Amino acid sequence: MTGRVIVITSGKGGVGKTTTSANIGTALAKSGYKVVLIDTDLGLRNLDLLLGLENRIVYTIVDVIEERCKLKQALVKDKKNPNLSLLAAAQTRDKTAVNAEQLKEICETLKEENDFVLVDCPAGIEQGFQNAVAGASEAIVVTTPEMSAIRDADRIIGLLATKEEITSTKLLLNRVRPSLIKSNEMMSVDDVVGILEIPLVGIIPEDTGIITSTNKGEPIVNDENALAGKAYRNVAQRILGEEVPFLDLDEPKGFMAKIKNAIAKLKVKV
Amino acid sequence: MLMEKNQVENGFIINLSNVKNTTQLVFELSSIMEHPDVKGKNVCLKLGSLDLKQSQLLSIKALIESMSATLAFIDTISEQTEASASSLGIMISKVDENAITEGITPEAHEEIKDEMVEVKTETGEINNKQAVEIMADIKLPDFSPIETTEGIEDIYDETSTQELSEIIPSDNFESADFTSLAEHEGLIPKEDSSKYILLDTGNVLPEGIEENSEDTSSMPTLYLSQTLRSGQTVSYEGNILIIGDAHPGSEIVAGGDITVWGILGGIAHAGCNGNITSKVRALKLNAIQLRIAGLYARRNDTLNVPYVQKSNEFSPEEAQIEDGKIVIYKKLRRD
Ligand SMILES: Nc1ncnc2c1ncn2[C@@H]1O[C@H](COP(=O)(O)OP(=O)(O)OP(=O)(O)O)[C@@H](O)[C@H]1O
Ligand SMILES: [Mg+2]
Repeated sequence: MTGRVIVITSGKGGVGKTTTSANIGTALAKSGYKVVLIDTDLGLRNLDLLLGLENRIVYTIVDVIEERCKLKQALVKDKKNPNLSLLAAAQTRDKTAVNAEQLKEICETLKEENDFVLVDCPAGIEQGFQNAVAGASEAIVVTTPEMSAIRDADRIIGLLATKEEITSTKLLLNRVRPSLIKSNEMMSVDDVVGILEIPLVGIIPEDTGIITSTNKGEPIVNDENALAGKAYRNVAQRILGEEVPFLDLDEPKGFMAKIKNAIAKLKVKV
Repeated sequence: MLMEKNQVENGFIINLSNVKNTTQLVFELSSIMEHPDVKGKNVCLKLGSLDLKQSQLLSIKALIESMSATLAFIDTISEQTEASASSLGIMISKVDENAITEGITPEAHEEIKDEMVEVKTETGEINNKQAVEIMADIKLPDFSPIETTEGIEDIYDETSTQELSEIIPSDNFESADFTSLAEHEGLIPKEDSSKYILLDTGNVLPEGIEENSEDTSSMPTLYLSQTLRSGQTVSYEGNILIIGDAHPGSEIVAGGDITVWGILGGIAHAGCNGNITSKVRALKLNAIQLRIAGLYARRNDTLNVPYVQKSNEFSPEEAQIEDGKIVIYKKLRRD
């Protein structure tokens, strides 16, 4: 088996990389694929919390690298889905405890026995980013419809373009609020795609359910009714190569509005 | 201040003469000092033969003062402690030997309480009942088991366990046992039977390190008066005593006992060099993982709350190994 290694990155902090990693990982595992999530945010790890796995972590990626345990021993199985496992970051160390070469080796090993290896990247463009990207052949760039986040995403897309190993870079637009777009207070999906000029893999609405799901340690994809959960399930399907239409986040009320909306959608270049 | 042999004006005597080491002393003291009635009182410590260095005595004094009480005087038979006290300007006095007997039982309290302690409230009224209640908390053995770990969980890939050199045998713990134990102790079991669940980690002790039962009271103790935050680690070959909270994401690793005078929320590893007699104690035991020697246990998912609300109502808890399990004892407070 040769799995796909996908890095989830952003440049700017706090735009939803970790949330995205946890949800896509869970969704892919639910579809029957073997998935490993790697948290590379050394010293500021969060992925374990989002998955509710903090209490099970005995070894971290640093223990693997410093040979205090075998790679398999450090993989913590998800509570619900045995297809999903986590390689946690060390909380008490910093980014210098690992290097790109070591991470690449870990990805190489993991992809032999898994369908997907998803790498949750730390914010920034320094060593943490370089490490996270090292073993990946695909990238998902997460951004919010904000000028500063888009600027940083643009920088990241540029850096990714210089990496030969990365053959695909896709955009995930997070925290979209249709009501704000409608009142012209938020950039539209078209605007963002127009600036960044890479294919869209998902549009995730702003959803307060994400906060509760984070606190519970349960990714929102497990919630059948949540709109953000559905949006993330769609992302997983697109990663699997299926054609899934983007969610209609905003239900237009009148007939004219519906037509306008349909026309607007045609303009999205994907 | 005028003090009779066995009385303290507006205060009480705390008998700690059975205490073997400073960690235990601070732990015992902490559970008493947590009592709301202690505020504004004069405290006398009966310390027995325990040797306290100047710095240790000073931190004990600071503990008492941090609870808005005053250290009135100490009673000691240790020359070292006496020297420390005099250089710190702490008064030394004798408590009447007949007044305090060794190993006071609750029944014995009834008989001796009149001569043992005399507490005067602000208004000058004598309130013996209060004093006896506080004294009752001092005794060490009234920790009672409330929860034990249950079952062993395989969290790794099936293939991984084969590579482990040693697997902790599966534990057929029956909840009936727990119930009867709890009943025996006069406790009502919680609906959720186990607070910590053993992890199937195999042998986690470093190579060449074997299980041992060295007396932790003879180990040196590291004192820390600070909040341990996420990402911070404290490790020490002896005992560790932290006055403050240990937040989730922090890690405490000790060769001997770990005592947290606050909320323990991170990882605590006592007896990291294989010492199976080591204990973990905290005012509130909420560790994400408890590790003693080679036994690792995780907090039950049903308790997986990221934080604990602070309250004045903490009752100290203590974790130790018993029959290959990690057992948690709760100190009972009488209201
Ligand atoms: N679609 C959304 N709706 C509402 N809140 C969201 C959404 N996506 C993310 N958040 C919130 O935004 C915050 C940051 O998310 P997350 O931790 O996933 O970002 P990150 O990019 O991994 O951050 P960092 O750069 O620090 O690693 C979290 O509090 C999360 O709950
Ligand atoms: Mg993150």
